[in-house]
Amino acid sequence: MRLLIPVIALVLALAAVVSLDRPLPPADFVLIDRSDVYTLDPQRMSYQHELRRARVIYEPLVNLRASDCEIVPGVAERWELSPDGLTYTFHLRADAKWSNGDPVTSEDFRYSWRRAILPDSAADYSGLFFSIKGAKAFFEARNAMIKEFAAKHAKTPSAAEAEALWKRTVELFDSTVGLHAPDARTLVVTLDAPLAYFLDLCAFPCFSPVHPATVEAFVSIDPATGRAIQRHDWTKPGRIVVNGAYVPTVWRYKRDMRLEQNPHYWNKDAIVAKTIECRTVENPNTGVLSFQSGAADWLTDLGPEYKTEMLAERRAYLARFKAELDAGLARGGRVDDIVATLPPPGDGERRDARGFNAFGTDFFSFNCRAALPGDRFNPFNDARVRRAFALAVDKQALIDRVTRLNERVASTLVPPGTIDGYPVVEGLGYDPERARAELKAAGWEDRDGDGIVENAAGVKFPTVDILYSTSSPRYQNLALAMRDMWKRELRVAAECRGKDSKLYKEDLKKGNFMIARGGWYGDYGDPTTWLDLQQSQNGNNDRGYSNPEFDQRLAAASGEADPALRLRKLAEVERWLFTEEMPMLPICNYVTVYMYDPVRTGGMTDHPRLEQDLSILGPRRGDAPPAKEPAP
Amino acid sequence: MNARPVSIVALIVRRLVQLPFIVLAVYTLTFILAWSVPGNPLENPEGRRPPAEIVEAMKKQYKLDDPVAFYFDYLEKASGIGYLRGTTDRVFDLGPSLKQPDWSVNEILATGLPVSITLGLSAMVMALMLGLFAGLVGGLRPGSIADLATQLVSVIGISLPSFVIGSALLMLFAVKFGLFPVGGWGGIAYIVLPALTLSLPFAAYISRLIRFGMIEEMGSDYIRTARAKGLTRARVALQHALKNAFLPVLSYLGPATAVALTGSFVVEKVFAVPGVGQHFVDGVLGKDITLVMGVVLVYSTLMVVFNLVVDVMYRFVDPRIA
Repeated sequence: MRLLIPVIALVLALAAVVSLDRPLPPADFVLIDRSDVYTLDPQRMSYQHELRRARVIYEPLVNLRASDCEIVPGVAERWELSPDGLTYTFHLRADAKWSNGDPVTSEDFRYSWRRAILPDSAADYSGLFFSIKGAKAFFEARNAMIKEFAAKHAKTPSAAEAEALWKRTVELFDSTVGLHAPDARTLVVTLDAPLAYFLDLCAFPCFSPVHPATVEAFVSIDPATGRAIQRHDWTKPGRIVVNGAYVPTVWRYKRDMRLEQNPHYWNKDAIVAKTIECRTVENPNTGVLSFQSGAADWLTDLGPEYKTEMLAERRAYLARFKAELDAGLARGGRVDDIVATLPPPGDGERRDARGFNAFGTDFFSFNCRAALPGDRFNPFNDARVRRAFALAVDKQALIDRVTRLNERVASTLVPPGTIDGYPVVEGLGYDPERARAELKAAGWEDRDGDGIVENAAGVKFPTVDILYSTSSPRYQNLALAMRDMWKRELRVAAECRGKDSKLYKEDLKKGNFMIARGGWYGDYGDPTTWLDLQQSQNGNNDRGYSNPEFDQRLAAASGEADPALRLRKLAEVERWLFTEEMPMLPICNYVTVYMYDPVRTGGMTDHPRLEQDLSILGPRRGDAPPAKEPAP
Repeated sequence: MNARPVSIVALIVRRLVQLPFIVLAVYTLTFILAWSVPGNPLENPEGRRPPAEIVEAMKKQYKLDDPVAFYFDYLEKASGIGYLRGTTDRVFDLGPSLKQPDWSVNEILATGLPVSITLGLSAMVMALMLGLFAGLVGGLRPGSIADLATQLVSVIGISLPSFVIGSALLMLFAVKFGLFPVGGWGGIAYIVLPALTLSLPFAAYISRLIRFGMIEEMGSDYIRTARAKGLTRARVALQHALKNAFLPVLSYLGPATAVALTGSFVVEKVFAVPGVGQHFVDGVLGKDITLVMGVVLVYSTLMVVFNLVVDVMYRFVDPRIA
């Protein structure tokens, strides 16, 4: 009998742990993301799937309506802009409540925005707040204070001194930053200069409020560095207090998160799904198989292995019903609504996968620095060489044979049609003849007939070092295909260098490449979210492109007061950038592929900015997707 | 016989004294390896880049600018000394995850460990059942077709890596027949395939132990006596022979369970099981030093303690070992 004891112990232990893990009841809407959110702290977010979740957990002053990206009221029921375009006065609605029943006040916004601006928070998007009067100076002043404090107190920590410094910081903020709360329901924001897209920024999740009492309990002042150190434990279900449509009630690390309707949310009638389950499935195959087995309503990111084939099947399906689709579209219908009424797909057809042009552009960066690390010669410091390399790439061929998602060719950075009133800008196209001419003008031609171009002194064009990250086969394939194009059209030697994404990033930062893979998704509805990338001082300017003329042109255009003229001027800057300067080589706009069944799921927007609103996704109600409050 | 309790106490004391040294050695070695991984864990390859001052300040906050300070600070907080000295309010503070800042390593382990333990224990139960069955089938009729078949399967079970077996099972039972969910976690159905994959090498080994034990026992004198007394072959085999044939399995069960509990990394990855193993692999790839160190500390402690428990249990179950 004693022999059985270990076996019984094993089984009992198993029964005990299994009973600890009870499955949750099914949710109204289930989605699958490729990775878990990094944080539920809106000020520290930066990833698309995080921001998407933040949009329904928190509510900023204004919302971005998913269907058309118009600004609609959020916590603020109305607002005024002063005639000089500098002062916004937001009036907060009386029924805006936190999930614990507290009212949402203008002080909550001041607290949260201060937190975003404070360098202590290390928020990725601090810079978005710098249009507020005094914000940038405050950021820099606080940075300097900390630096000085840390130097003085590294060996002699002083809690009292650190607290005093913090007090001075808060006073500085109150007295210099253009953010005031005359009463609990009024927030007055003063800007440095008129900013056409300020309301769009206010709708960005990083501008959402956090519940000060909840967050403050986890903040401490470090006596050694003077920084306000934040612990992030407050974001956990049970502790977290939110003001959006949903409250996170379960969050299991890299497994799932459950959102339940916030009973205190003022606009809860507009919510479709009462509960949402967000699962994390990192393996793309597992994700697809789970969706196909009916375990989820929406797969937010289809794995690369499936995209081409599934989109082809969708095209086959739509081709069969072309007449119905065209007729429906002509009547002003939405693609999903029409497709949902069509007969089910046959063999080799499908309607549950759909590709969208995303608010993102795939590009390769030219290294524009004067020299490569180690003082090596950098031919791409010359704009003529950059133009030559751009002109020699047949992007349509890359899309047809390499990326194969039917993407839209891009010759500039801003995806066309994504920003209201911004003209379509054409950059350099495919012209190998002109490419060779540009290269020759830069002094490079094949003088000795060996198949490699040389300069006048007979020095060969250095072997082009093409850097890509091995995180996805897409970049390797693109790099290889372009290498062959450049070899063929320009007669240069080129080599591709694949690196793990961490090492790739290191090389990017050090400028250790000639041409490197890049990519960017826009954050807000203004061309500057794209054009700022080329500013000399921009932290994401991997190209080391530094041209005072560009900085000055961009500043002038972006400071233009007349909104329509401003966009035209910005377009002119972009045109100049991508016909003359060429710091990067745009390839195409990204295509995002979702899997969802339009018959079952409604509310998905196809607006090119692709800001899905989780609160209106869910079972179709049989009518048009519900809209949140109309624009004022 | 009187000496036994003393020796158990001595054993426990000796092991507990060894424990901190073993764990410290593992900690130091892992720290050197984890630190030498290139990259900055606070930076996400595809993410936006904060200004340089902020990156520096964050590195300072997490002591990523000074390996020596990090080594001792982490050790102090993780070992409980920090709690005694009042530098942290968690007894064993394994720090915040550098990659997933909203989570402390303690919380990650709290959500991941039950999953990994469930998987490991289920695999051991399965391994026992499968191994017993296959071992009996083979051991009672050595040389028969059934014996050859089970031996073949057990060779495959031992020699094929789990990612191959796992993927094959996944394709067959989840995709083709749709009997089990493809991956994830949330109920018995989700456990079957990963546990089966994890159990196969153990099952194979157990079946071989049982098979050899049964063949040996069935040919021994006391079995012949029992048969002569008129007991049926089945009764002799199950009541008498198996009892002795099972003893080596018992010795194997302890370390095997420890390995199954801590060694499910690959299987977790294949089946998208949200256990510690998967988090650990992600931590290594992302240079999430606190997570890697925390998992290693907890697992090495678990391993030492588990081995101790097993040793104590042996003495109770099988006096011959003492």
